[in-house]
Amino acid sequence: MNTESAPLRKVIPIAESPDKGPIEPPPGADAEMVSLYEAHKKIYPRSVTGFFSNWRWATVFLTQIVFYGLPWLEWGQRQAVLFDLGARRFYIFGLVLYPQDFIYLTGILVISAFSLFLFTAVAGRLWCGYACPQTVYTEIFLWLEKKTEGDRSARMRRDAGPWTLDKLWRKTSKHFLWLAVALWTGFTFVGYFTPIHELGREFIQLDMGSWEIFWTFFYGFATYGNAGFMREQVCKHMCPYARFQSAMFDKDTLIVTYDAARGEPRGGRSKKADLSTLNLGACIDCSLCVQVCPTGIDIRKGLQYECIGCGACADVCDTVMDKVGYARGLVKYSTENAISQNWTRAQTLRHVLRPRVLIYIAILGTVVTAMAISLAMRIPFKVDVVRDRGALARIAEGGRIENVFRLQIMNATEATQRFHISVEGLPGLSVVSENDIAIASTQARWVAVRVQGPAEGLAPGSHTIHFEIAAEGSIGKVSEKAVFIVPR
Amino acid sequence: MNQDPTALSQRLMWIVWPAFLMAGVLEILVFALVDPVDLHWQGAPLEASRQAVYTVAFFVFWVITMVSGALTTLLAMSPFEVNRCPVPRDSRPEACAEDCPRQGTP
Repeated sequence: MNTESAPLRKVIPIAESPDKGPIEPPPGADAEMVSLYEAHKKIYPRSVTGFFSNWRWATVFLTQIVFYGLPWLEWGQRQAVLFDLGARRFYIFGLVLYPQDFIYLTGILVISAFSLFLFTAVAGRLWCGYACPQTVYTEIFLWLEKKTEGDRSARMRRDAGPWTLDKLWRKTSKHFLWLAVALWTGFTFVGYFTPIHELGREFIQLDMGSWEIFWTFFYGFATYGNAGFMREQVCKHMCPYARFQSAMFDKDTLIVTYDAARGEPRGGRSKKADLSTLNLGACIDCSLCVQVCPTGIDIRKGLQYECIGCGACADVCDTVMDKVGYARGLVKYSTENAISQNWTRAQTLRHVLRPRVLIYIAILGTVVTAMAISLAMRIPFKVDVVRDRGALARIAEGGRIENVFRLQIMNATEATQRFHISVEGLPGLSVVSENDIAIASTQARWVAVRVQGPAEGLAPGSHTIHFEIAAEGSIGKVSEKAVFIVPR
Repeated sequence: MNQDPTALSQRLMWIVWPAFLMAGVLEILVFALVDPVDLHWQGAPLEASRQAVYTVAFFVFWVITMVSGALTTLLAMSPFEVNRCPVPRDSRPEACAEDCPRQGTP
């Protein structure tokens, strides 16, 4: 660390050696140690009603009707949506998918990601505020908490007070209700992977399989822990999206914002006081926006990564503005540009279609179209070809050369399909084994196929051939490459 | 870390949760390609149901990715954090205060 020879290099003292005395913490380290990890204070969100809250409840109902209801829906003789892991078949209404159809899962993930990017660029964290399971279950759990333990102030008072019979009773009923919802959620989750009607019967007869019980409890306790206890901690410390959402934000993104120009300087005032004579902004500093916030932030400090865009502060501020007789919208859903340039609603909306948004829409549109076309043109069966390991090649009756292949044919429909196999690539090649193969609905079968070719005119060695597999009554054909061996 | 339970719980969250997500991804990737019925253990076919293999594999994936996350968290500690005395000031033994070079740390 010779500073003289390299005067431009910045020297960072890491730690002094022990013989020069004790290691001193860097200045201010005491304070730094604390600020590195923000101390966790329990948040008691106050309940709120209003425009955004109504929308959230609407999406809570919508998403949960779909989640809890979908496994019970029947399609023909079976569950409409079933990811049958035991049988490795995935049923989505009329579709029967095999693990080999992995590409569609990839497609769905790409579509989900770009939808998220698009919604985020246009209107901020819509996903977080309205559709994320973390928000949805926290909302349900908070509602149950309010029903059993009362609203924010009652809960805070009771938590600070001594244990009484009333407190015990209220807490017990809250946890009982939470656990009931959580286990029902776990049961529903398992019902997507195991036929739920059977599962329900087994549940009533206390005869569920051990793995089903395990996953019901695992998912149930995850719900109970995340929605009951972890809550905003999940968004603040566990969610990767919260950390990178700002990459999709720009100055035209709709976000929950505080109109500082109108609100400041904030301060308490008498209800009768005339605002024009007070030298005060519209914010009466009632702190309700902080009390309702599920992540415990103060929206008046500006955009923060903890803000999940739920709009609770906007709702509660509107009710306060109504009460004191000021115009609504001190905290509102708006864009940075709109606030700073005093745009009207129409002007703000005109900025929605900008290059970033158009690019997201274009990519999303392409992927959705490609996926729809691919699904529509999907051939309802699959074939794998493997050479029979037992016999390489042999001379059959009449001096013809015979190779044996094993074909796995997978029927991806719910009716029996009949298949016909033909082979081409060499003159005189033909399939001599049974060639009218019936495969039952959603089943896969290995079929031994004997292929013969004339002995004369074929050079010894390997020849590339193609199997063509056609299903009766289906337009699609599958062509699979294989190697035909002619012995010396 | 001992003196700051919040730091520990937050670090646990950083380790456990991303590992959970990645274990889910691994589970999907691996079992899209591998049928548990085809698996062999020491030359003999695996005598376990698909559900059993899926479940056990998920937790194996989870634990391994957690170890990776834990190592990252460990290596991401600053030199100051590594060097400082881990025992809170008020619970250090008497003798320690005299000859420990770390005594001056908070």
